[in-house]
Amino acid sequence: MIEKLSNLHDAIKKNVSSDDLIFIGGFGHLIPFYLTHELIRQNINNLSICRSGADILFDQLIASGIIKKVIFGYIGNPTVGLSHSFNRAYKFNTIEIEEWTNQSIIMRLHAARMGIDFIPSKILQIGDLPENIQFIKKIISPYTGQEYSAIPSLKPDVALIHAQQADKYGNVQMWGIDGDTVEGALASDRIIVSVERIIDNKEIKESPEKTIIPSHRVTNIVELPWGAYPSYVSGFYSRDDQHYISYDSLSRNESELERYLNEWVINVDNIELYMEKIGKENRLSLEKGLCGTLDES
Amino acid sequence: MKVNHREINPDKRIAMIAAMELKGYRSCFVGIGIPSDTACLAKDTIEPNINLIYESGAIGAMPKTKSYSTGSPSIAHRSDMITDSFSVFSDLQAGRIDVGLLSAAQIDIFGNLNSTVIGGYQNPKVRMVGSGGAHDIACLIPNLIILMPHDPRRFVEKVDFITSPGSGAAFDKLRVKYQLGKGPSILITDKAKFVMSPSGWNLDSILDDFTYEEAVEGIPWKLSVSNKRIKIDQDILSKVDSISGL
Repeated sequence: MIEKLSNLHDAIKKNVSSDDLIFIGGFGHLIPFYLTHELIRQNINNLSICRSGADILFDQLIASGIIKKVIFGYIGNPTVGLSHSFNRAYKFNTIEIEEWTNQSIIMRLHAARMGIDFIPSKILQIGDLPENIQFIKKIISPYTGQEYSAIPSLKPDVALIHAQQADKYGNVQMWGIDGDTVEGALASDRIIVSVERIIDNKEIKESPEKTIIPSHRVTNIVELPWGAYPSYVSGFYSRDDQHYISYDSLSRNESELERYLNEWVINVDNIELYMEKIGKENRLSLEKGLCGTLDES
Repeated sequence: MKVNHREINPDKRIAMIAAMELKGYRSCFVGIGIPSDTACLAKDTIEPNINLIYESGAIGAMPKTKSYSTGSPSIAHRSDMITDSFSVFSDLQAGRIDVGLLSAAQIDIFGNLNSTVIGGYQNPKVRMVGSGGAHDIACLIPNLIILMPHDPRRFVEKVDFITSPGSGAAFDKLRVKYQLGKGPSILITDKAKFVMSPSGWNLDSILDDFTYEEAVEGIPWKLSVSNKRIKIDQDILSKVDSISGL
């Protein structure tokens, strides 16, 4: 069997190019922060990024100036506030946007996953959103004459996702909140997965129902423990809500945000440094938090 | 127990009034914040059979700590089922989820909601987070309840952008034509309950300890007087402090 293990640098270098459309996984849970930060460190630019609900990882990518276009249903810092870098870029017209809804983005990915070019739907037929989406068209059911919106497929070149574990062949196991992560991955041409740990194929075979992407679809596996911080990984560590709250105030100010990106992205060029940056005490408290490995509630 | 409702914080007042509207429903599509807190309060008191459904795919959660995202640990932890977003949105489109709760930055007389921009779409004064699942819920859910803090800036003649479509002459026929839900039927503020009519919102009832003037203050719609009073269920009143986000 083909082995898919890679170091982070090569996995990104070999599979992502300027002008690519990238799906980024994680729905509150399993957001691939460290894996995706590598795009910034390698300064791969002119990228288009997509997902349904986007949080501060999108904000960081936009702030780094490597994004040409954002395709989204929601963009913000959930409960805490707005995506300030997105707002600045929108205001100064430095990014293109394609604004949909969460359901329509997921349908678009689902269509690509199914290998078809649209899905009929009842949504996006009334209100101000449809007329602001350039290329949404209508379709009449050949069976009943019912009128639907024809939600076009969205096929990313590459998906970046994070999961709990995988074997060296690329069988990926994930549990907890999925959102549109598996949908987006399976819609994409290439799939790069960072995981908390590499396990033996024997262990995969003991619970194959946990495998959500089979080896033949996976391009590369990168072992990056704590790679989803400050989001969380069920069974490993909880979400650092405080990090998201602090990010809101610092990202309002461009020079403070630049300092943050240097501190948390540019200068943290291996995962051990990222873990050190999170801090031993904080890591322990997140392991004890809800859904963490030491959670006793 | 004699309570002065003025001493209860506004978010809790919204959740208490709205929770009473959930009686009889079996499944509820909720977002984070007051909608989720309202549904939790109802489940803990007058409607134990209601199932909470989040767009992240979590079903049957009863969060014990404050949640920031619909995918947060507190939503996943001890839920009954975690499926994917495609599945719950499919159930929504198929009409398999009974009731939805939404909030937004702006609302108008026909229940159109705006969570996209303040000002023009191309050159907004404030660019907000966008629809998320709000447009989808507003189009598809059979029964829709809107929750709004009573902040006069939020109540407008016409929203700057219709993210989530409402009811009324503009949309009623199209909703039938496209097989959509009937649109918002109830609006709850921290002082009153409004119900939808063909000509827009009507004031239905006012929370105890508040006056008509307070219930309609700063709201630009023509609203007739109502003497009906909202009496909060005792069980809801006694448990509102135990809801994590409130």
